[in-house]
Parts: sequence; C-alpha cells; structure tokens
Amino acid sequence: MRKIYLFLISILILIQSCQQHSIPKNSKYLSMVGDIDYDAKLDDTNFTLCNEKNTKQYHNLNEELQYEDEKYTLNHTFISQFKPDPTIKDSGMIRIRFIVNCKGETGRFRLISSGYDYKEKQFDKAITDQLMTITKSLKGWKILSDKRGPKDYYQYLIFKISDGQIKEILP
Amino acid sequence: MRKSTNFIILWIIIFVQNISTAQNCNVFLYQKDTLQYEACLIAEDAYQYYQYSREYQEILDKAIEKCPHFSYAYLNKSTAYLKSGDFITWKYLIDKAVEYNFRENIGYRGWCKFQFFRDYQGAIDDIESLEAASKGNIGYSAGGQYHLKVAKALCYKQLGDVHKAITIMEEYMVDTTLQVSVFDHFHLGVMYLEIADYDNAITQLNLQSAQNDLAENQYYLALCYQKMGNDTLFNEHIAKAKEMYLRNQKMVFHYTEPIDRVYLKEIESAMEVQKDDNK
Repeated sequence: MRKIYLFLISILILIQSCQQHSIPKNSKYLSMVGDIDYDAKLDDTNFTLCNEKNTKQYHNLNEELQYEDEKYTLNHTFISQFKPDPTIKDSGMIRIRFIVNCKGETGRFRLISSGYDYKEKQFDKAITDQLMTITKSLKGWKILSDKRGPKDYYQYLIFKISDGQIKEILP
Repeated sequence: MRKSTNFIILWIIIFVQNISTAQNCNVFLYQKDTLQYEACLIAEDAYQYYQYSREYQEILDKAIEKCPHFSYAYLNKSTAYLKSGDFITWKYLIDKAVEYNFRENIGYRGWCKFQFFRDYQGAIDDIESLEAASKGNIGYSAGGQYHLKVAKALCYKQLGDVHKAITIMEEYMVDTTLQVSVFDHFHLGVMYLEIADYDNAITQLNLQSAQNDLAENQYYLALCYQKMGNDTLFNEHIAKAKEMYLRNQKMVFHYTEPIDRVYLKEIESAMEVQKDDNK
C-alpha cells in the first residue's frame, strides 16, 4: 500500500514538472524568467545543451560564481583586455547573460543595458562590442553538477561602467 | 519505516517552506481590504511553483489584475529578475512594490540595490528614507546577515567616505538594542585598517576571530601587522589565512560577492611580496 502511495505521488510530481515546460501560445513568458531560446541569426549552431528543458541558474548549483582561479582572474581578464576609448563617456550598467553547457562551453549570449537610473539605454558599440568579445572568449567557466551529473546553467555578468571605464564586475 | 518517515519529513519541509514564503491573507480581511484579500488568495497558488517559472509569474499577474495595488505580488515577481541580473525589469517591479507599501519594502529595495547592483548611493537613499520614516529598529538584510545600518556604512565606505562609515558602525555597535551580526567586527576592522588605525583594526579583527573567524579576517590581520612592520605576526596570520581559505572557511554569499572578500591569489600574492621584501 505504501509503495503504491509513493508511486502515485511520484507520478503527480512528474506530471507537474512536465506541465511546467509546455508554454501556452498566449503566454508572454518563456518557461523561466531569463530563458534564452536558440536564435539561428545570433547563435552558434555548434553550441548544444545536454538538456534544453532543464537549464539551471548558476546559483542553483553553487552559492557563487564558479570560474577557474575564481572571480579574481575573471576581473583581471577584463581589466587587462578592455581598452577604454577616452572620447566615450557612457555610464550605467550592462548585463551579458549566457549559458554554460554541461561541457563548460558557452553560448547564446544576450545583452541588456541601462543608465544608473535603471532605465534602458544603449551604450556606444565600442564598449558593448568589446565586452561581448571578451565574455565570449572566456574559457574558465566551471562545469557544475548535481547528483545526476553535469548540468547546463545560466550565468550572467554585469559591468558597471563610469565614463566609459569598467568600474565593477558583478555578481 | 525509515523511508516513509523521510518522505513525511520531506513533505513537512515543503509545506512549511510554502507557508513561510506566503503571506497571511487574513491580515487584509481584518483591515477590511477585500480587494487585497482576494488578490492575496490568488497569489497563494503561486507559491507551489519556482519563482523563476512562467506559472509563478502568471498567477501573480492575475493577483495584480484583481488588485493593482497589491504590493506583495510585485515584490515576489521581482525576485527572479533580481537573481537573473535583469536590473531594468527588477527595478520597475520593486518600485511598484515600494509605491504600494513603502514601509515594508523600501529597506529591502535598498539592500538589493547594494547586494546585487552595488548601487551604493541608491541603497543609502532608500535606507535613509526608511530611517526617516521609522522610529524603531529599521531591520536586517534579506537573509539576516547584515543590519541595514551596517549595509549603509558599507555603502559610504565604498563611495570613499570611510570616516562616515566608521561613525555609523561605532554608533551601531554601542546601541545595546541592536545585536552585533556575524561580519560586523570584521568590516569595522577593515575600515580602521583603511584609515591606518591599526590598533583599532586589530582589536575589531580579533573580536571577529573570537566570534566567527574567516580567512579574510586573518588576511586583514596580516596586513595590519605588515603595515606595523611586524614580520613574525604577518607570516603567522597570512599562513593561517591561506590554511583557512583552503579549508573553505571564507566569506561566501549566495548569489553575489561580499564586500571585503579576498581570493586565494591575493593571499598568495601578499605572501610573495613579503618574501621579496625580505630578500
């Protein structure tokens, strides 16, 4: 009896988790906030995921960002490679969100930006193109796993820009 | 028997977790606010879903449709945007939550501005608004590790006003109605170090050691002794910092990087510099 009860509960959980991934056509939301669907115009066809429908958030698998030699190295990569243009004085925040797949490769990069007032704003391409190029070149993202093995996960970087220079990198 | 007991415990945990994230809708009933009460009942269905999920967002949208000034729905909708780094959508939603319930949400917005976006001035403005509107204790960060006065002090420090930060910290530390939290002595110690007040820095960092020692704490102690020219104590504390770091006794926060966080390379680099100086 107990086994039947456990079996039925498990089936209910399974049905519920499956339902979460079937998006009604009239919904304005994707399956999860921040999801990035494949776009043939933007994305590398060679970048694949282990499980498209079960991409985690970086904080689901570890408390903080996981990079080889830690965030210290990541910061130094940007500091050494980013070349500010002294004529560009843009300020605000730029977020680049992307996926690290189960092999530690990255893809599906998307960018949003705002002023320090949190209102959407376009930055000079000399800044955003550089940040995107450096972000795409990063090779130190760690493979994150749960009990069932390596997972695909969403990661983001926020660049705080003041007068065209990188002031801080988050999270 | 053990399996079924574990199973029951799991369900109790899920149940309690759902209750703890939910709001008591009867509060609105007692206030005779029928609209918010009905919106609150709708919102209760959301808590069975992950806060990032479409279902969670859609149910809270329905609650907002029922009652456009139901701040709790905006607040809960904002969380996934906060954690995914979407500062534009987060700010729109959290501003609505603050607009409809200032007293409950302004401190939280200030904390999030500080923790997730390092918006130091924005955080100060929110926390000071809360102080102006409150008579008593303004409360703690989401997660409870920092009193909002300490968060404010850290913001002033990050903006370069270390003396003001120290004043806020000292006033907070002597207020017996407030409890010193897990990182307070540590941050105050680092502030003293930054203004070259090594004696006070060491006092605070030692208090932190006694309460909740960290690799970072040992690192900054080492820097104090280095500045004072005490090589023996520098070597002792920097070695301990590395040892603790490798044992994972370090500052790690969920989602973001804490202020005054130190990385292994920085500890090793300090060791190397000292070696070179001694040659």
